[in-house]
This record gives sequence, C-alpha cells and structure tokens, in this order.
Amino acid sequence: MPVIEVADLVKEFRRPKRQEGSFAGLRTLLTREQTVKRAVDGISFQVARGEMVGYLGPNGAGKSTTIKMLTGILVPTSGTVRVAGTVPWRDRARNARQIGVVFGQRSQLWWDLPLRDSLWLTGRLYDVPTARFEEKRRQFTKVLDLGSFLDTPVRQLSLGQRMRGDLAAAMLYDPSILYLDEPTVGLDVVAKERIRAFVGELNRESGTTVVLTTHDLDDVEELCDRIVLIDHGKVAYDGAVAELKTRYAPHRELVVQTDALESVEGAEVVRREEGKVWLRFDPARTPPAALVASVLARHEVTDLSIVEPELESVIHRIYADRG
Amino acid sequence: MKAHLACARMEFRVALTYRTSYLSSFVMMLLQIYLLTVVWSAFYDGRDEVDGVSLSTMTAYATLSTLQYTLVSPWRSSPIDQRVREGKVAVDLLRPIGFPGQMLAGQLGWASAAVPVLLVALPFALLIGAGQAPASTAAAVAYPLALIGALLVNQLLGLLLGMVSFWTLEVSGALMAYRFVAQFFSGALVPLWFMPGPVRAAAEWLPFQATAYTPAALYLGQVEGYGMAAALAVQGAWIVALGALAAFVWSRARHRVMSQGG
Repeated sequence: MPVIEVADLVKEFRRPKRQEGSFAGLRTLLTREQTVKRAVDGISFQVARGEMVGYLGPNGAGKSTTIKMLTGILVPTSGTVRVAGTVPWRDRARNARQIGVVFGQRSQLWWDLPLRDSLWLTGRLYDVPTARFEEKRRQFTKVLDLGSFLDTPVRQLSLGQRMRGDLAAAMLYDPSILYLDEPTVGLDVVAKERIRAFVGELNRESGTTVVLTTHDLDDVEELCDRIVLIDHGKVAYDGAVAELKTRYAPHRELVVQTDALESVEGAEVVRREEGKVWLRFDPARTPPAALVASVLARHEVTDLSIVEPELESVIHRIYADRG
Repeated sequence: MKAHLACARMEFRVALTYRTSYLSSFVMMLLQIYLLTVVWSAFYDGRDEVDGVSLSTMTAYATLSTLQYTLVSPWRSSPIDQRVREGKVAVDLLRPIGFPGQMLAGQLGWASAAVPVLLVALPFALLIGAGQAPASTAAAVAYPLALIGALLVNQLLGLLLGMVSFWTLEVSGALMAYRFVAQFFSGALVPLWFMPGPVRAAAEWLPFQATAYTPAALYLGQVEGYGMAAALAVQGAWIVALGALAAFVWSRARHRVMSQGG
C-alpha cells in the first residue's frame, strides 16, 4: 500500500515575456505575452510506507518543485498527488501534521531567536502534549547533540548546527513521512555523517518514510535502496540502486597487484600503474570467479580486489547520455 | 488559536531582541510628542479655540495619535512581500495553520511589543501637559475597543497589500505610495476636523480614518453618544469587508505561489 502516490504531475511557471529594444523594461511591465516553463512534466511514481527513496536529478531538473507540490506548498498545474490519503495543497494543514520537511537551503527556525524558542513553537503548532514535547526534546538534544547551542540565536549557529536544529524541529511531532531537500549541502564530512546516521535510525526504529533529494550520492548509497531519477521534468529511471548500476555500468574492474600481466581472456586491461593492473570485465559474460582463477593460475599475485562502479559515475554517464 | 498565540509570542520576542531600535523608537516618540505640542501651540497663536477645538484637545490629539502610531502604523504594514521575495513563504506554508492567520498573528505579536513603551510614555505626556484624561466614562470604555479595531483594520489593509506581491513580486513602490496616502487619510498628522470639506468627505469614506482618527476622536469626546456607536460600527464593517476580501484574495494568491529559489 503506497503512502505517496504521484500521477502525471505537471507544474508550469508563467512569467511575462521579457521585451527587448527601447523601453524594454516598461514594455515588459505592460505586456500580456507570457513565457511558459514546464518545470515538472508528467511525473508518476509511488513510495511505500517505510521506504527510503532518493529523488535525484541535475540542477533545474524539477526536484525541488516536485517536493514543494508533495508538501502542499505549490499547487500543481495538473496531475494528482495523494500523501497518506490527503491531497497536500487542498488539505495543506492536515497534510502538514503528517510530514516533516527539511530544506538544506532554507531554515524554518526563527532567525533572531534561540533554537529553544523555535522548538517550543513547533510543539505548540503541532499540539504536542507538554510531557511528550519534553521527552522528544531531551531525546533530540542527546542524539543530535544540541545541548551546547539550544540557547544561541539561530543566526549565530554554524550550518551544521542549524541543520541539526532543523531536523529536530521537523521530527518533534513524530511525522510518519520525512522530506529532505538537500539536507547535507555545504556540510563537512562529520556533519554529513551525523545527519545520515540520524535519518537512518529514524527509518529503522520508527519506520519513517523518507524522500531525499541530494547532489551528494554518498547520501543515497548510504541511505536509499531505491532511486527515482528525473531529468528535464520527466522520470528517467525508477528502481533499485543496484539495478541502475547493472543497467548503466555493467562492467566491474578487477585490480591485480602483480609483476607482469599482458592480457587475460574475457577481460580488457584499462590501466597500469605502480605494479597494479586494472582489468575491466562484464560479470554476465565472464564470471568473476573464473576470471580470478585464470589470473591466479598464470601469474604471481600479491593482492587482488574487485571494484564496484560508483553511483556517482553511473549518474554522470546517464546525464551525459541525455545531453 | 493556541498556535496563533504561539506565533504572536514569537514575533513579540523578536521585537524585543532588537533593543537598540526598540529604545530609539521610544526616544523618537517622546521627542515627537514634545515637538507636536510646540507646533500646535504656535499654530493656535494664543487663541483658546480654533473651529471649536481647544488647544489642549488638539495637543492631546497629537499626543494620542503619536502614541497609537507605535501600535498602528502603516510603516510596518506586512512582512509578506519580503517573505515572497526571499522565498520564505515556502516555510510558512509548511506550518499546519493558515497563511493569512499566521501573518496576522505575527504582526499583532510584534505590535504588542509596543505596549510597555506606551505605558512609560503616557505619564511623560501628561507631565508636559500634552495629555488629557478620557472625555467621559463612555469614552474610556470605547477607546480600547476602537484601538483594537484600528489595529485590525490597519493589519488587514497591510495583509491585502502584501498579498499583491504574489502577482507582482515587487510592491515597494506601491507600498511607499500606500503609506503616504494611508498616513494622511488616517488623520494621524492632521485630524479630520481640520480637513477641508471634500478632503474630509474622502477621508470619511476611506478605511484609513478607522486606523487613527476614530480611536483618538472617541477618547477626546470629539465623537459622542450615538456617534460613538456609529464610529465603532463603521470600524467593524471595515474589518468584516477587508477580512472577506483578504480571504478571497488569498484563495487566488494560493495558486500564484512560486517560491523563489531552491
């Protein structure tokens, strides 16, 4: 039973057409001509309860626009969205209670006030009973390590601290669905790791459904089993991460540390460096075990490993192919 | 309601965090009260009354409208245009309460931060002889009602104007013009009773007089008896009409949300 159902979703933005020539500014102001941009162009997908889905695409592909329609901020031009039985933009307030949202680029915390105040407001807005609120705040203060800056005005927080604060505010009322829109953008490795760990734990322990957009594919590899890849407002791929790799990057590489290796049957030498040789092979045609056996039979080998393709390079190839 | 109160309280706290601007607004206000007293005394030029209005009533009017102005001012009409430009509307629309209600609650919370200032300024005004007690018991009762009415009319006007930015993105030019017109026709600078016939007629048909003139005139007994009820009724009618218009405009603006950036 899917918790998020998206069908034929379209969002167009209209702007008055920019005029050129003399008095261009004034004529732009008065013109009735419009340019229409289709940011989202017929997207359909479903997300099951408890799933963690990576929603990927290059800049301007329509990711954030989709998220804004799923959360009820934007009204779609056409198509349907149902999130746990509600239509987000029509029943915005009810939908808001079942979702948590974190925008990496935009904080929901009160800029001039201490983080503590923003958390207090969240408790009030979502009718969290006082005892439950205290319990949640204690829990998040511990898990996200908020203690040292609970009383600091948000404008003085570092980006990593602010993101942790935003995450705490988004999950304070136990929403069953969490949307993360580039949650790790601009963060250092440690801060990224902390956020991933928190989200992963939420999903495991509370069964929170997570939709994640990001440009950091490590986020996806660590958290998501499935990705929906969009480009130019359309779905380019929807399926398992592993499946995507086999489809777009069928080759594996066998790295062998050896003194002399000219060629091996069923594999191609793609690189040689400092006594190491990279052999590229297609596991569907050349079984890895057979390849390893034939290399070991003929050569003196000190070390050997099989390298999986990285999601990063796979996605890169897909974007490049589509131009 | 609890959620709206919480929003109001947040903005109240924000207003208090800007202590320097808070205190300087306080000093400016006292200075303005003093200067207006000097100006109106010079204007009366030794006469006790002009058009049946005594100097003491006039200076009390000037003081009162200055004090009210910290609560009800077209200069802080609405945060909406800025939030639209910066894309912060997206965050407002994630909260589980209506957008216009959130904005109004925040604005009222911000305005209420001026109340302590008023409580300090009032004795000062009385001390320099620029103040007056309410004209009657009825005036004392009607005044707070009229002040709340003024606050609501002013905020609803600001809300409407702010929502225009969902169509135009940029309203700062229109806002400047609005503030000038709103301030003049509110009677905050010159009371309606000194306005020439046609201008006064225009002021009476516009909603702005409900934001400054109505409460001050009620307090000073310039409007009495049946007129008091009528003035409050006019205010009430504006609140209903502007509220309905704001709800309608929002239902249209909802489809225009573009959410800048990201």
